[in-house]
Amino acid sequence: MTHDPTFWLLARSAGFTAYVLLTLSVLAGLVVKSRPFRSLKPAAVVDTHRTFAMLGLGALALHGTALVLDQTVRMPVWALVVPFTSSYRPVATAIGVLTAELMILVYASFSMRKRIGPKNWRRLHWATYAIFAGATVHGLTSGTDTTRPWAFALYLGAVASVAAATAYRALARPASNRPVPKGATS
Amino acid sequence: MTYRIVIDQSLCSGFGSCAELAPEIFELEGGVARLRVGSSDDEAVLDAADSCPMGAISVQLVEAA
Repeated sequence: MTHDPTFWLLARSAGFTAYVLLTLSVLAGLVVKSRPFRSLKPAAVVDTHRTFAMLGLGALALHGTALVLDQTVRMPVWALVVPFTSSYRPVATAIGVLTAELMILVYASFSMRKRIGPKNWRRLHWATYAIFAGATVHGLTSGTDTTRPWAFALYLGAVASVAAATAYRALARPASNRPVPKGATS
Repeated sequence: MTYRIVIDQSLCSGFGSCAELAPEIFELEGGVARLRVGSSDDEAVLDAADSCPMGAISVQLVEAA
């Protein structure tokens, strides 16, 4: 018996969309302080960073919902929340579940930064590297499009751009952290 | 001890930790931090400057006259 492929197509495309939005959010976050484009105001870059993160979570919600509704792979609701309970590629799916939960935690930490303090908020943001790595591995191992050239190019482009922005962030001098002596021009 | 405070508003990302740690000294206006006073003897300004993820706040110790 054939079934309606709509939700299967939706699940896959929403997964890729979430991955692209996550990558864009990570890239925007990485350039907030290193400022490769000096004309962009940090406050505007932070807004962009948070918007991409929020849209990414939206695509993620769609990805999960579509997987539950679809019948190509059997995915009960709890398998979206509890790792290793999916019968379809359990390890690859578990990586996706854990990555999604970390994403929600890091996103929510912005609203909780008053309670947890700016230092803990920054520490928690280091988890973003695990999120990006987890999302990449999850996509490569659980996705059915991985062997296609366009999918491979997308993963490669995302990893290369995040690696480049991370290197620039690590190597670039901080924009300006010291008080400028009176009379001096920066 | 009195501290003179300067915010580099072109660096401010609007994170807001300064206004949370020292609300009498910093406030957010239009998503960017601004000073309510030019100088203060409250040590909270040091925590606020330290907490800024952009390093946009500089604090100078004013020598006693």
